[in-house]
Amino acid sequence: MSAADLARPAPPSPGPSHHVDRQFPTAWRFAVRNQTRNRLAGLLLVIFVPVWYLLMLAIAGHQSLAFRLYATGQVLTVDAGRLTLISAGLNSLTIIVGFAVFAAIRKTLAFDKRLVFAGYRQATLIAAKTLAIAVLATAVACYTAGVLLAFWRPSPVGWLAIAAGFAVIALSYGSLGLLLGVLVKNDLEGFFLIIMGGLMDTFLQNPLGNPLANKPILEWFPSFGPMQFAVGGSFGHQALWGHLALGLAWAAAFAAGGLIIFQVRTRSRRHPAG
Amino acid sequence: MTAAGAPVLEARDVHKAYGRHQVLNGVALTVQPGQLVAVVGENGAGKSTLLKILAGTMRADRGEVRLAGTLGYCPQEPVVSESLTVGQHLRYFAAAYRLPSLQRANALADLFGYAEFRDVTAGALSGGTRQKLNLTLALLHDPDVLLLDEPYQGFDWETYLRFWDAVSDLRTRGKAVVIITHLVFEQDRFDMLADLADGRLINRQPAHGESHVSG
Repeated sequence: MSAADLARPAPPSPGPSHHVDRQFPTAWRFAVRNQTRNRLAGLLLVIFVPVWYLLMLAIAGHQSLAFRLYATGQVLTVDAGRLTLISAGLNSLTIIVGFAVFAAIRKTLAFDKRLVFAGYRQATLIAAKTLAIAVLATAVACYTAGVLLAFWRPSPVGWLAIAAGFAVIALSYGSLGLLLGVLVKNDLEGFFLIIMGGLMDTFLQNPLGNPLANKPILEWFPSFGPMQFAVGGSFGHQALWGHLALGLAWAAAFAAGGLIIFQVRTRSRRHPAG
Repeated sequence: MTAAGAPVLEARDVHKAYGRHQVLNGVALTVQPGQLVAVVGENGAGKSTLLKILAGTMRADRGEVRLAGTLGYCPQEPVVSESLTVGQHLRYFAAAYRLPSLQRANALADLFGYAEFRDVTAGALSGGTRQKLNLTLALLHDPDVLLLDEPYQGFDWETYLRFWDAVSDLRTRGKAVVIITHLVFEQDRFDMLADLADGRLINRQPAHGESHVSG
């Protein structure tokens, strides 16, 4: 192959819509690949989730706890161990999904900027990334809810409520990972905020040894809605859709913030042709 | 290739400061189609800053940059995705540039001698091969203006010569190439050399015959 071969004219383009159509599947495929190439997150998923359940169950014991459902004002009497399993599942999702998305977004930010500079439509990249995060978060949440069955068998409807709560917290922290990935300057800041934020958020919702239990301040944390929905469904046999929507609102807010900053940070400042 | 005509790239009175440190202080540069230009400067002179402003990846504090046609930009540090293979990079950028086929991508991979690494992830490539991929991504769409920041760092001799073959091919087809470097070994390859010092560009005449090695 010689340099002269490079001068051969390219075959005619079939039109702009063809390329737009091709940009999305390409971006989607590679976004999923980037999100799933994190071996540490994979290891955390396989080892950390069951170990965390086991450990939290051992710590919590089986005493009775009072848990307030804010939608109805009802105070449920629940088994501490089972309630803590829900907290442990929510917490492991905050760490694993938040960490995986944060790491993937940070690693590819400069590359994404180059892609946009080369002509990739920002909206296409953003849509592909968002969809990849949503699929990853939902899949990891289903796995985490599945592992829970090894420790506790709630009713099928109760389990579905827990899985839905898990999916929403995974979406929230996936979106937070996106936001921090485009916002913070150092990896350590992002990891610290995800780990500490997730621990505080999820365990403050659990009344086990927690003086803030059942206080209104808990409503201002991202895991409030998913925890209420999961507990309401598995212990109270109620579907608190408003609280699930509240969790989704956190996810949407984090995602919107992250995507706006992503849009600003990857935009091209191409000069006008003169 | 110095005939005056409509410039393909023109920078006027470009200023840039980082805090109180004034890096560029009224840079002017005019590049004609088919010209090969070297911007030479010491470390910290502001070469990469100038190239980023010319490329449009950084905003100048003041001044104007005008570009006619398509642009290819090769940053000094390879900007690639560690988890994607070489082939996936080529497909990704072919989609970005809206290219109908991978014909030119394959030709460039063959020219620079790394086609055998098509299925290897960028994270597992040697520094030199990553730089070849980095350069290919800037050349993929056959741009009218190519901006290169220290492009041949890490190249072996054979690749270095092939790089100049590719540059010659671009020039003969009226494409302009601007190379930023801190060392110019073969000055007579260039149509114009400009020194970046004290935030300004000063043209110098090419010293024909000086240490030229034919490609």
